[in-house]
Amino acid sequence: MEKWLLKIVHIFDGVFRRQGIDISQLYAIVETKMTLDKRRVYMNWRQSDQSDNKNHLLMVLAVYGFFSVFMGAMIFFLPSFILAMIFLHAYIIFMMAMTLITDFSTVLLDTTDNQIILPKPVNSRTLFMARQVHILLYLFQFTIAMCLIPVVCVGLKYGILTGLAAAITTLLSVLLAVFFTYFLYLLVLRFSSEARAKEAVTWFQIAMTVFFAVGYQIIPRMINMSEFADRFELHWYSYLLPPVWMAVALESVYTLQADFTHLLVIILAVSLPLLLFWILNKYLAPSFTARLSAINTEARDVSKKNQGVVRKSLITRLSSWFTRTNLSKAGFEMVWNITGRDKSFKLQFYPSLGYVFVFIFIFVFNSGRNVGASWNELSSTTKFLWFIYLPMFTVANALLFITYNENFAASWIYRSAPVKKPGELLLGGLIALFIKYFLFIYMAMLAISLYIWGWKILDDFLFGLANDYLCFLILGSIGKQYLPFSRQPNTRQQTGRFLLAILQMMIVAALVGMHYLVIKVPAALYVLLPVVLAACWLLQQNLRNLPWKKIAV
Amino acid sequence: MNILRLHDLKKNYNGTYVLKGINLVIDEPQIIGYIGPNGAGKSTTIKILAGIIDSFEGEATVLGMDVRKDALQIKQSIGYIPEQAALYDVLTPLEYLRFTGRLYQLPDAVIEKKSWELLRLFELDEKANMRMTGFSKGMRQKVLLISGLMHNPDIIFLDEPLNGLDANAVILVKEILAQLKQAGKTLFYSSHIMDVVEKISDRIVIINKGETLADGTFETLKADAARGSLENIFTALTGDEQHQTTAGAFVDVLKS
Repeated sequence: MEKWLLKIVHIFDGVFRRQGIDISQLYAIVETKMTLDKRRVYMNWRQSDQSDNKNHLLMVLAVYGFFSVFMGAMIFFLPSFILAMIFLHAYIIFMMAMTLITDFSTVLLDTTDNQIILPKPVNSRTLFMARQVHILLYLFQFTIAMCLIPVVCVGLKYGILTGLAAAITTLLSVLLAVFFTYFLYLLVLRFSSEARAKEAVTWFQIAMTVFFAVGYQIIPRMINMSEFADRFELHWYSYLLPPVWMAVALESVYTLQADFTHLLVIILAVSLPLLLFWILNKYLAPSFTARLSAINTEARDVSKKNQGVVRKSLITRLSSWFTRTNLSKAGFEMVWNITGRDKSFKLQFYPSLGYVFVFIFIFVFNSGRNVGASWNELSSTTKFLWFIYLPMFTVANALLFITYNENFAASWIYRSAPVKKPGELLLGGLIALFIKYFLFIYMAMLAISLYIWGWKILDDFLFGLANDYLCFLILGSIGKQYLPFSRQPNTRQQTGRFLLAILQMMIVAALVGMHYLVIKVPAALYVLLPVVLAACWLLQQNLRNLPWKKIAV
Repeated sequence: MNILRLHDLKKNYNGTYVLKGINLVIDEPQIIGYIGPNGAGKSTTIKILAGIIDSFEGEATVLGMDVRKDALQIKQSIGYIPEQAALYDVLTPLEYLRFTGRLYQLPDAVIEKKSWELLRLFELDEKANMRMTGFSKGMRQKVLLISGLMHNPDIIFLDEPLNGLDANAVILVKEILAQLKQAGKTLFYSSHIMDVVEKISDRIVIINKGETLADGTFETLKADAARGSLENIFTALTGDEQHQTTAGAFVDVLKS
């Protein structure tokens, strides 16, 4: 595909030459950068599928194309023209900005040019143009993947003229997205360091993953929103949003209306993106480059003040509350620290925390149908069981994720140090996950449930907490045991995972069933709670004393 | 009691022997240079002695204890510093040292105090609370050295410990090794180049393809090499003539 794209660029060879640009250098740089694009590891994609020289970019583009089919369907089925257009342009601006922030950030924040290309005899015009051409080609590919199908759908349903106009407004939306992205980056770089900027990118990636999952649930349902569409009207403040300008401008083309408001909005929709893009090229991009070369000089250290001070951090305090031995403290603090910092763990696990709320919504409200009625009868149901047990399922996933780490080679330390009870490391890590992630969500669930059901469910949540911890211990105890962060990522799941998953399901189902019994016969609580606590204690002891030969490598 | 004894040590990986019968006895505290080209079996030997690999043939004892039976006790009294600076780099030096110190069962207060002081001596105190992701290889190696030595071991195994260190750090580490020896420690030091080893080692063991080729002081080995018995391997390790021809060829290609 890039050959085909480069052919388009070749049309401008004459223009380049007149500007004093070295053509062969230009193509050498652009081609290399495009090869890098193909091999880069994209998010939204399982890392294991990205191991070899496959063209990852193409797969990512295919996903966007697939999503744009949904948008196309939405355009066909949503009766309100203006609403469909608002959704379309909002989608394009949002997706484009998110893509640029999450995936293209490596290109925008790339400082290797400074070291690799600058020392070579390449003039600055050539380098500048090579960067521009590369970025434009990248944007072009994503624009096609995202906009082509919806624009064609607009053309088919509302006529060719409207379709052509939609092609222009979507391009304008892309320009806006580019501007927003640059602006955001400048803001981040202005106020913090490169490392911080990269961390911010990780959070955007997590948000993006959640958005994909939620969008997958919500966009198909949006098609049935005719009721909402009938009542829809634009308020004055709607005109503050760029997608609304685009939609109103298109409406003017579609209905051939040209009153004062419409003309004003058309001017706004066309001129503002162009104006912002001009500002971007003229002022923002140069200062962006300047700032980038500045961050390449080594980041300075800021934490001089803590020197020599034996400071008890929150984590140290927590670990001494919840764990007793040195080894389990080591496991606790290590898991706590690394889970908060390791990018691939965060990308794998944090989105699933977001899903909890989505799943709760789906299960509790029966796929969102008739929300009002479900809400009214909710307080007389026992659906708070979802609130109690769903978070545990989600957080239990982390038990698997913490066995992986890119620095898995560093796990030599477990074998070279005189570790007598490796099980204590495992237990410490498990407790850290339970406290750090589970308790946090559980409290949120408790708050929501108290609002819906009132104080009478407090004892259920108390019993649920013990029961959840028991489930957590069981899930952590069956199956192969790996020390924290000791496995190479992307290693294939061992066989027998499926049977194991069924076994886990059955155990958890039995425990949830027990809770159901407590709801029916409240007195059972006083018998069962001590039993559950005793089981927890036994499992803890068992895990603590796990011998070395039970630890898998 | 021997400080360290290997008798007919063999190790096979999937049918091929990477160690084919290593014999070695160390009776007094000294610095042993364990030299051989890449793939000679150096790291494997060290991992067996450090109790990391426990399936092998032959005998291996450290401080009179059998490596197979008393691995935990041995690990408590040895220090192991691996090659290629593998550590959890999202942690800060202080956090990493607290983690490894606890694995060695040191009390938190001791860990805290020693970490600060040792980091200060390595000029890393200003970075003690920074994540190690941005650290150079030399800085990581310094942290690993501290983590392997903090529990004050009697025997120290170092796998290519000077890799990636800057020139000043190399001098410092060499001096530390020398002083550790004076404090009565035994140092077992592996490398694939003779360069640094020859100056600090009391004794040099050369291995190749899983077999010991020579065992003695640098002077005796050099004499042997001159007599021809060790010539090839010695040339490869000290790397003189062969490198000269390669370098010559390199420059010739540039000219063409």
